[in-house]
Amino acid sequence: MASHAAARNGGARRDQRPLKKRLADASAPYLYSAPALILIVTVMLVPLVLGISYAFRDIQLLNPMSGGFIGLDHFRTLYEDQNFYRALKNTLWWTGWSVLLQFVFGLILALLLDKPFYGRAIVQALVFLPWAVPSFLAGLNWAWLFNPVVGPIPHWLFALGLMNEPYNILSDPQLSTWGPIIANVWWGIPFFAITLLAALQAIPRDLYEAASIDGAGPVQRFISITLPFLAPTIAITVLLRTVWISNFADLIIVMTNGGPADRSQIVASYIFTQAFKRLDFGYASAIALVLLALLITYSMLIVILRQWLLSKD
Amino acid sequence: MASIDIAAIHKSYGIHPVLHGIDLEIKDGEFVVLVGPSGCGKSTLLRMIAGLEAVTDGEIRIDGKRVNDLAPKDRDIAMVFQSYALYPHMSVAKNMSYSLRLRKTAKEKIASVVANAATKLGLDPLMERRPKALSGGQRQRVAMGRAIVREPKAFLFDEPLSNLDARLREQMRAEIKKLHQDLGATSIYVTHDQIEAMTLADRIVAMHGGVIQQVGSPLELYDNPANLFVAGFIGSPGMNFFEGRYMATGDTANFALTGGVVLPLSGVANLADGSRATLGIRPEHVVLGAEGPDVLKATVDLVEPTGFGIIVHLKLGPVAFKAFTLDRRFLGMHGEVDVKLPVKNLHFFNEAGRKV
Repeated sequence: MASHAAARNGGARRDQRPLKKRLADASAPYLYSAPALILIVTVMLVPLVLGISYAFRDIQLLNPMSGGFIGLDHFRTLYEDQNFYRALKNTLWWTGWSVLLQFVFGLILALLLDKPFYGRAIVQALVFLPWAVPSFLAGLNWAWLFNPVVGPIPHWLFALGLMNEPYNILSDPQLSTWGPIIANVWWGIPFFAITLLAALQAIPRDLYEAASIDGAGPVQRFISITLPFLAPTIAITVLLRTVWISNFADLIIVMTNGGPADRSQIVASYIFTQAFKRLDFGYASAIALVLLALLITYSMLIVILRQWLLSKD
Repeated sequence: MASIDIAAIHKSYGIHPVLHGIDLEIKDGEFVVLVGPSGCGKSTLLRMIAGLEAVTDGEIRIDGKRVNDLAPKDRDIAMVFQSYALYPHMSVAKNMSYSLRLRKTAKEKIASVVANAATKLGLDPLMERRPKALSGGQRQRVAMGRAIVREPKAFLFDEPLSNLDARLREQMRAEIKKLHQDLGATSIYVTHDQIEAMTLADRIVAMHGGVIQQVGSPLELYDNPANLFVAGFIGSPGMNFFEGRYMATGDTANFALTGGVVLPLSGVANLADGSRATLGIRPEHVVLGAEGPDVLKATVDLVEPTGFGIIVHLKLGPVAFKAFTLDRRFLGMHGEVDVKLPVKNLHFFNEAGRKV
């Protein structure tokens, strides 16, 4: 670097190195970072740009004449697409309830597992099991549980008087979203339980002792010690899960396939249906682009909120 | 302010007994130090008084009222932890006022009490800081401030100075003592440091193996230790011990040290003739460069100047012992030296380790 500076200094002393050597020196940093850059560009940027470009083209797998550039046509269609708006509403519903219930049950579970009891290690391992089940297997399993022909749940609900007859809630247009939500809650509780339990166990015990001597009861200890210590973990996990779950179509595809009559469709599953069932890749890409924009907006809001909280502190 | 009575306290963890029947009466306003090596049960006892550990058997009374089954928050005691246990997400002021806020004390009252305590502890400029922005000594002060704002019945200290460096420890020790003189509150202080115990205590409770070894004023324990454990634990450098056999001949006696040296005693001790015993003497009582008939020849092993005095490591036959002197003449000492173990400073312990 010093020699570069010297060369620029009015050429008082000329760079003595041969041209080849100078070229090699100048390009070295780029050559070192090239493998990583090339990898990132090929696996991330190329598909992203391609996907985005599809949104402005007419791409239907079954129509060999398609493929032309159509500008914003897809977005105009989307603007009028009632199914899309329902999917958007369903996404909020599905994400909100799934995250809320997963968080609440996960927190309760973590608090229970934080207390020592006989056989805790085994119970911990069992409780974390759902997380290890492949999502589509979980979806199938729950679909069967809700099915009155093979599953017990409708019969139980009927026996409890909550149903007039044992029927499948997955085929009820009013209730069908609840099937995947319940399966999702079951599947996602361990994630919150694991992360919150880890955070709980990092809280020094003597703080609780000091607080109880200071006169705090269990509720006050929870509010003034447990919650402040958990807050950063809660913020991060809820944020992450919100993004994941709003993109998480597996359970819906497996359990209801978005049905009946697109009633349980979320945006992610609607994209899947458009792309792989109706084979309209162009339209699917357009929806995906909108979803991407929405999620980026959400993330930016969270980042701003975080900055604001930190600066206030 | 309150008295604390501990009656026949037992504690077991599962099948492992930790405390074997502790009896102790602490008077109102007294400063009692529980001292002993780690694992002796002193912290467990303190935590039982605080209500953080369940009592297996026996009774704890605060001001005559049984508190065995009371939650810590209902005992009206304050505790200072070794780790300080400050609430990291609260400012110093919030930390100190937490207990008062829980009690729904009036805001003006809280402000004045906290301000008072802050002034007393020199925390005024730090009130808005978080604990992580404080040094160890400052955190320790906040922990004490948190305790004193409540005006509790008693203060419990669980090795509060162990995490501080030596100089700061000395300084905080003095501050704790001064605080106790100002407030006159009943205090129980746990430490493994016998210097802290000696300097702070009205009464020391020396514990070992879950049993109280001796209770008494610091000087009582120093001058008249009840057994080998207390004799060895209290004092630094520690008391010298010589094992041997007590030989009585009429109205005089000798002590035959293991290793062959015979020490003439000018009087008799309360020991059976020919019994095995241990003889103890504090290093500062060993007379160096002595003259006269009872002089023993010892070999100098090592000389350690401490600045204040000199610790001389000696050997009497195969038995090692130490002498402490303020006389700087002994600084360059080597080879042999005449020593004397004055009979009036000797402590005798029988085979069971008890002082006779």
